[in-house]
Amino acid sequence: MVAPAILLLMAFFFTPVVLTGVFAFTDMSTSTGISRGCYVVTPTTLRRLGDRGLGANDAEAISAASYAVDEAGLAAARDAGTDAAFLADIEERLTGETFETARDFELALRDLPNAPRSPRALKSAADLFGQSLLNHRFVTRAELAEALAAHAPGVAEEMREALTDDAYTGAVFTTENFTRLATQPETGRLIANTALYVGATLSLFNVGLGLFLALVLFYMPKPVTGLFSTLWLLPRITPVVLYTIMWKWFTWEDGFLPILAEQLGLPAFNYMKGSVVTAWMTMIALNGFIGASFGLILFSGALRAIPVQQLWASEVDGANRLQQIRRVILPQLRWPILFVTSYQTLSLLSSYEHIWLTTNGGPGKTTTVWALEAFKTALSNYSGNLEYGLGAAMALVLVVVGLVLSILYLRLFRFGDLVGRPRIEF
Amino acid sequence: MPSQNLLRGAGALLLSCAALPVLAQDYTITVWAGGTGDDSNYRMDAIDMAADILEREAAIRGEELSITVESQAWSGWDDFKQAFSLASEAGNAPDLIVSGHEDIGPWSEAGLIVPIEDYVYFDTWPLSSIYPNLIEVASFNGQIWGIPQDAEARVMFWSIPALEAIGWSEDEIASLPDLILNGEFTLYDMLDALKAMQDEGVLEPGMAFGPRVSNGPDYWQFYQAFGGEMADPETGKLVLDTEALTGMYQFFVDAVEMGVVSSTHLGMEWDAWHQNAAAGSYGAWHGGTWHYAQWTNQFGLEDFFGTVEYTLIPAGDENGRANSITHPLVYLLTAAAPEEEAAIAAELVAIASEPRINALHAVKSAHLGISEEETLVPLYAENRWLTAASERLAPHTNAIPNNPDFGTYWTAMYEGLEASWTGVTSVEDAVAEVEASVTQALGDDVIVR
Repeated sequence: MVAPAILLLMAFFFTPVVLTGVFAFTDMSTSTGISRGCYVVTPTTLRRLGDRGLGANDAEAISAASYAVDEAGLAAARDAGTDAAFLADIEERLTGETFETARDFELALRDLPNAPRSPRALKSAADLFGQSLLNHRFVTRAELAEALAAHAPGVAEEMREALTDDAYTGAVFTTENFTRLATQPETGRLIANTALYVGATLSLFNVGLGLFLALVLFYMPKPVTGLFSTLWLLPRITPVVLYTIMWKWFTWEDGFLPILAEQLGLPAFNYMKGSVVTAWMTMIALNGFIGASFGLILFSGALRAIPVQQLWASEVDGANRLQQIRRVILPQLRWPILFVTSYQTLSLLSSYEHIWLTTNGGPGKTTTVWALEAFKTALSNYSGNLEYGLGAAMALVLVVVGLVLSILYLRLFRFGDLVGRPRIEF
Repeated sequence: MPSQNLLRGAGALLLSCAALPVLAQDYTITVWAGGTGDDSNYRMDAIDMAADILEREAAIRGEELSITVESQAWSGWDDFKQAFSLASEAGNAPDLIVSGHEDIGPWSEAGLIVPIEDYVYFDTWPLSSIYPNLIEVASFNGQIWGIPQDAEARVMFWSIPALEAIGWSEDEIASLPDLILNGEFTLYDMLDALKAMQDEGVLEPGMAFGPRVSNGPDYWQFYQAFGGEMADPETGKLVLDTEALTGMYQFFVDAVEMGVVSSTHLGMEWDAWHQNAAAGSYGAWHGGTWHYAQWTNQFGLEDFFGTVEYTLIPAGDENGRANSITHPLVYLLTAAAPEEEAAIAAELVAIASEPRINALHAVKSAHLGISEEETLVPLYAENRWLTAASERLAPHTNAIPNNPDFGTYWTAMYEGLEASWTGVTSVEDAVAEVEASVTQALGDDVIVR
């Protein structure tokens, strides 16, 4: 049993965490790509190097292109399988000529009688007669270094090195993501939002409402209990998209709540997005109703485990319902309450999908929590600038917080005692 | 690099052989278009039409060519850009995509797209007839990466009935575009007028101003209105003008304080915004030329010219100017397309750029044309809105820069706007945060003024 467990743990926990950990220390983004980068010298590279002392002459030498119709070029074209008639034209009419730019050379080639119809074929043939370093994607550093040495030997060695460094398009290792997270004021706001979201959802709904419902149902006749428990499970078993759409029907202009409010003379507007306070209430409630059923089930089970004689005894002693709950029931629900609290803290910390589909963190960014921001940073935003590195760093913070909390909860539970050998012999 | 040359040569050989009568060639060209709603189907349909033409041309040359076009429309941008980036990384990208020109920066750097200039001649018709400024918008690092698919202008719309209700005469309303163009009517004059409309009881409180409800290039117009510049024309570096950014943020905060727009306006539903705009519930609202098609086709706006005045975005103060941003979409050729497929795909785009075909998209979706010739196509020429927008707005438009780092700057700018607009931070703090995050992320690649 141990081997498959370890395998599953590796596949579904350790590998993602390790990858997140690695990505978190890179500047990986849409521009760098996820796979290995290339080496490309662009006008932008030259401009950047210009700021660091690359002379105008050197820049010109690097960006210069030259095309010569000579033996070497013709041989290369022949080897590459250029159309024979076209090649014969080139040899006959252009041998010995040189061209300053790719465009001039292409224009000359296009005038030839057997020039291919396809621009791509013609341009590919042209490439065989010359070299232009600019905008060429070199796969390895060595290839670019070699090309630079051959193309612009006059440029100082260290400048060529700097150019090669700058020309790399892939991701590089950095701790910048964490510096950014530690210094930007946005981080504080995200933490505050997350704390409010987790704290309020947990206390009001996952534990509060769950407990309230469990207690109410406990005192109700059995058939009613079954029906209500099933009803309260609906939010959890409804597909996320359907559930969030129902909340939109419920809270948007012309939805159930605003129409009801209008009838009662209360302010009616889009409660989900129209004000910060109602957005928060909506977001907490819609997440809370899902969590409440989880608490309800667990608490109901725990309540059934309380020996009913204790309740009879308390009634004999003249305790009312409230006293019964306070003195007899709650003390025995300590463990389930702690369990629901800890489990739901972890799951709320990392959940964002319901928020994303409803308030989407708005109005403005007032209901954006950490997990949602991590998701948007790494995978989904309007400008399409996906910052995988920064997003991974944010996710890693969540993993670490989750692990720390888990350890804390395990100690709080005295997990060792729970799974220890029973002290009573059966 | 002999191996690469050999490979290219082989490709060249294959293509040059295409002139000989050979076996039927079957190609499947995949196209994904972003930000594409019901009115923009010609972004993909034009490629279909082009495929038909190319097949017929091939048949005349004695070749057998069969092209199947598979297309996907994405209504949003977030999911589209995510899908394309991730599909590219996984090797499942389509051959062609239609996206905003600003994506050329990051996508070319990551090697997700290839320069389309390698596959078509820009000095032959129809590409030679495309407006040079649009070709420039589709270029980056000295190469032409995309073929412009459309153009547009972003617009400040005004409710004529609401202006009349606060005592503006017909002539005064008609002179508004010129007043704005000359900087004689500023954004703050607009707020005063909007406030008057509300005080007059013509419009609901908090409803007089209807800005765009989500992130978009539109908000850069307000930065420009206060004298901001997005990139330095000399060096191409991004520019963060803190004074202009302050002016812009303060303007929206002031609009909230005057009660003409709500502090929670950003993030509201598009449909609700469209309904308000089409029903004349706003006094002034800003959108784009293409919204005309949506309002008149889907939202029941009947008498556009009788009820709506349209102008540039007014200047904010004496440093800024009245302006409008054009955000052309471009056809981009992806690195995922095999050599032969890429050549066919590029040729299809070239055909789709012919005036008559492109005019179908322009007129149906109320976008501006890509060439002078297109404006002569009767369908286009007789369209009152496009002609009017081309004359009044198009000459004053500019585009956002093609810079791989612009996305970072853009995200920070919009987050600052959200924070100050909703009152989460003060304007000063929001600007300071933008400055801090942009300089931290981009270092020397951004100029702070």
